Amino acid sequence: MSEKSGAYAGKVKRAVQMLLFQRHRRPGVKGWELKRSLGRDFMKVVDLLNTRLDDLGLRVSVVYEGREPGGRPSEEELERAVFYVVLRGASSVESLSGWRVDEVAGLAAAVAFIASRQGKAARRDVEGLLRVKFPGWRVDLALDRFVRRGYLDEGEGGMLYVGWRGRAEIDQKMLLDLLLGEALK
Amino acid sequence: MRVISLCLSVSRKGVDPFEVEVKRILDAIGKYLPEWELPEDFSLDAETLNWLSSVVELQAGWIKHMSSSLYVDPFLIELKLKALDAESLSGIFTRCWRPIVELEQLVPRRVKEAVDYWNLLPPLEGRWPEFEARGPSGPGSATEEELRRQGMILDGSFEEALEEEWRKLVKMAGDGRVSFWDFVYADSYEETVRRAYLASFLVTYGYAGLETDPLEGEYYLKPFREKRKAALGGQAVSVPISVDRDVWVRRKG
Repeated sequence: MSEKSGAYAGKVKRAVQMLLFQRHRRPGVKGWELKRSLGRDFMKVVDLLNTRLDDLGLRVSVVYEGREPGGRPSEEELERAVFYVVLRGASSVESLSGWRVDEVAGLAAAVAFIASRQGKAARRDVEGLLRVKFPGWRVDLALDRFVRRGYLDEGEGGMLYVGWRGRAEIDQKMLLDLLLGEALK
Repeated sequence: MRVISLCLSVSRKGVDPFEVEVKRILDAIGKYLPEWELPEDFSLDAETLNWLSSVVELQAGWIKHMSSSLYVDPFLIELKLKALDAESLSGIFTRCWRPIVELEQLVPRRVKEAVDYWNLLPPLEGRWPEFEARGPSGPGSATEEELRRQGMILDGSFEEALEEEWRKLVKMAGDGRVSFWDFVYADSYEETVRRAYLASFLVTYGYAGLETDPLEGEYYLKPFREKRKAALGGQAVSVPISVDRDVWVRRKG
């Protein structure tokens, strides 16, 4: 093993520790933290780590601040982004440990509703949509739970947004496309 | 005021910002500007312009969103969400859900830190000063009359007190509404708090409605002629109103 590849192997180990083991209250590592620990070429290390994680069905997901995924991010955008390790492929319904199917459906409906409205919607409108299918008391509990877990974020004036975890875990474009595909069937 | 209220509903309710005809409103403001003399009129125009600038910002965001890859017809999505059953919806969701993988681990260094902390921590009785019992050691007692005098219990039943307040509210507001503070204000602060407390139950139990004026920051009570059951059945919204002693003193003064 050359000296250079050995150094990279060490950096990959450090990166996986940073990304997998929770260091703060929330999971994930900021780009600037990775840069500080791994050096200026931290994205090369992330790419290497991605090839290793691929075998395990995992990948590194990058969530940019106020920017849609795709395209070439600037160095500044990468430093401000948050990096997570997520499942690479689709999760199965059986893997929804701790989630009821109707709760997942409620989360899907809430996220899709908000995403289709420029990323924000009044809580009462989301409640109105969910109440079509679920009893009122369950809607309140579910929305509070989504907010608590970070899937949704509640702002001033009773507006709901997709929260930090929602942005990290849910492919919103794919969700809307799949729903639209269903709608056009 | 109508334009400001329209801008407010666009910015707060997520209504299509292009509902506001910015150009026409600007033309109207320009047309009437030379006729204004009172500072209030200029102030209102300035506020309108401020709100219009927010609407233009929302319009820019709207266009940006429509040109983005995330744009789909929101109504089509809403219709589909209403039509799909929970299982189909969760099936779709799991196809685009990539849960975060996270682990928790206690490393040896942390365990050592914890042990050191435990060893250095003095016993609880050394950290908390002893509280000396002062005054009577056992629980005291009070007569019903004393509790009534202190306002701890009401004369008659709670329902009676509530209905009495309702009658006062109907008498004061008639078919209209009355300012919350005008209604609850009493000669003493304690009585004002008592009336505010009862007023909150008047609204909760469907004896009256609470209207707010966000611009003025004023609350109004509107009595219902008959108690409405729907007040508890519908979507309840909590409205905190501070019955501040300073506010009471200012009104008294």
